[in-house]
Amino acid sequence: MKRFWILLATEFKAWRHDPIAAMGGLIPPTFLLIAFGLLFGGRLTFKVALLDHDQGPYGPLLRATFGEVLSPFGTPYYDLVDLSEDQAWDAYAAHRIDGVWVVPADFSQRLEAGQNPRIEMHFSNYNDDRAKNHRIYSAEILWRFYEKIGLPGPPLALAEEYPRPAMIDWFPVISVGIVLLSYMLGGMINMFMLTQKEQVARITLEFGLTPRSMAWVLVPKLLVALIMGLLTGTVLLGVVYLWLGAWPGAYLWAVWLLAGLVILFWVPITLLLGLRARYFAGVLATILTGLTVFFIGGGLSMVRYNKANVPWFSWLFPNTYAVDPLRDLILFHAWPADWAPTLLILAGFATLSLAAGLGLTARELRRLD
Amino acid sequence: MDRFRLLVLSEFRLFRTAIPIHVVAILQPTVMYVLMAVILVQPTFDMEVDRPTTPEGWALVRAMEEVGSPIGDPYIQPVLVNWDGGPVSRQVVVVEAKRDRPVAVQVYGLIDSNLVKNFRNRLTAAALRLWNSELGDRAVLVEEHPWLPRDVPYKVYFGMALLPLSAFVAAAFTGSILMAQEFELQTILEYRLSPVAVSLILGARLTRLVLSALIAVVILILVIGLVTGFWPRAVGSVLLILLPVAVIAGCMGVLAGLLFRRSIPAFLVGLVSGFAGWVLGSGFGLAAGFGQAYQWVSRLTPFAHATELLFPYYFGASIGRPLFSALFLATLSLALLALTALAYRRRVTAEV
Repeated sequence: MKRFWILLATEFKAWRHDPIAAMGGLIPPTFLLIAFGLLFGGRLTFKVALLDHDQGPYGPLLRATFGEVLSPFGTPYYDLVDLSEDQAWDAYAAHRIDGVWVVPADFSQRLEAGQNPRIEMHFSNYNDDRAKNHRIYSAEILWRFYEKIGLPGPPLALAEEYPRPAMIDWFPVISVGIVLLSYMLGGMINMFMLTQKEQVARITLEFGLTPRSMAWVLVPKLLVALIMGLLTGTVLLGVVYLWLGAWPGAYLWAVWLLAGLVILFWVPITLLLGLRARYFAGVLATILTGLTVFFIGGGLSMVRYNKANVPWFSWLFPNTYAVDPLRDLILFHAWPADWAPTLLILAGFATLSLAAGLGLTARELRRLD
Repeated sequence: MDRFRLLVLSEFRLFRTAIPIHVVAILQPTVMYVLMAVILVQPTFDMEVDRPTTPEGWALVRAMEEVGSPIGDPYIQPVLVNWDGGPVSRQVVVVEAKRDRPVAVQVYGLIDSNLVKNFRNRLTAAALRLWNSELGDRAVLVEEHPWLPRDVPYKVYFGMALLPLSAFVAAAFTGSILMAQEFELQTILEYRLSPVAVSLILGARLTRLVLSALIAVVILILVIGLVTGFWPRAVGSVLLILLPVAVIAGCMGVLAGLLFRRSIPAFLVGLVSGFAGWVLGSGFGLAAGFGQAYQWVSRLTPFAHATELLFPYYFGASIGRPLFSALFLATLSLALLALTALAYRRRVTAEV
């Protein structure tokens, strides 16, 4: 056991001389967090100008409707901007606002007479997703408007049933994906940098000459990488807490367990990489692997509800299985319904990777040529 | 001229000293585009509907099929299922009678407000069609006036906005590493002792960086075209617009290498300035749409200007102030060229 502690302390000392190993798992995820926070953390409403030329009562009623209809985000679909007609068209032409609605002078008159009342909706469609939103948001506004002006009720009423009393916004969903990336990169970068250093300093040769089992060398390395991964991810989790208020609380141990198993899948692979790759290329490959897995492994959206859109190759990585249970624990403080199968799958991934990775590494180290 | 040609060739031969960096620098934005193209949202959603048993239910399914863009994709693909009342993975629409009145109940399994919003809006749009048809002449017609003759997939904008990043990454990554390596491997001594003019050496390095950037751009243009079917109207003009971006990036890379003399910090400068510039410089949508502050910051980056200049070539419509953007890019690239030459003199020639 003493031997183990000595080797563990050596690994920690090596890390102390290369603290950048800790930043590698922190910088790219923090950067991603800021980027996605800027993009999706704000209000997802359209800014439009309503040019009301109506001579009757329905134009102002329509204007009032815009503020009343709320999206599931709890905010109106539209922010009406107060601009004169010229300013509105200028702002629209410069893409400073998303659209212009024009209510013609005879709108109320036609509505009362049942003579095909019309509204003009001018909008930008350089992005088909936003154009789609213009079309389907307008339906929400009209639906409420019909109800307000007392038209005969719809032939089909609408109702909704939700699984939880509250929903979650998109950015918190993404932020948990980024936290998992940080856990993963924290372990990988640590493992790569320390191993690569040992390879350059030819310490790996000494490892190969050891008369003892290679486990004495490899287990402390794994342990340090695991601790560093958990530490890095938890620091980022702290940032997420400060930004969004999301923290697993009493479920932190469960988060560590899931993240730890994911880390244990990735570090043996990085261990092999550290024995072969050149410093810079290896760091780059590690970071790019992490980013790629983040994008394809459910980093941006809930995997459970998007299974049809998850590419087949995403299921080859443990991250895809772990990310939703982590969201349950961090965002909802709820025990994941699929806890046991997830744990089994992650343990399977980790065991397979540890067996293959450590076995191949031991073989590589024993080769003295 | 022969000397210059030899220097450029020698610069290209440096490829062998940093193969992974070159591969990453040239292909990374393209790989990112391909990955994002797989996961970027599509306007058409599959919506599960419990197999209707009433005429109202079937009318709703027909209305769902009609919801969509008249100049683009349908928004709903109804999928009929036999729902047993069990757990729902995304959502299912059930048409049932409540208090003797038909009601379309949308039962959600989703907890993500963005997806819920999308499903809810689509169902409202379908049900509104039924309401409108019952109201007849009393229904309000929303007359659509879209800006462009057809809805353009978001993948096109996303890809187009990646083109400046592609040029930037290729030139800045490679430039920073090659320059820093000269110090790390002590080969800078050869340049210090060289009787050849600085302008020739630096010119050859930048020419090679710009050419690498343009190769990366051409690869991405090809991939965007293959994925979306949208091709730029004039590839030559696109390359001309991205030329100053490549020069700016090449200069920044070389400057970072000269200042830090170590690969990792020099590379980080390229990485952070490239990706920060892309995110802040209209990478995800036109800067004007993100508010005054974002727009102001965005205009300080070459990315926003390049994206606005590229816009007509993919969308057939102009945006922003093209002359100002062109002048901005030209001025910035000339200023950085001068700064790089100055730094090169100080760090290389003057330190003999």
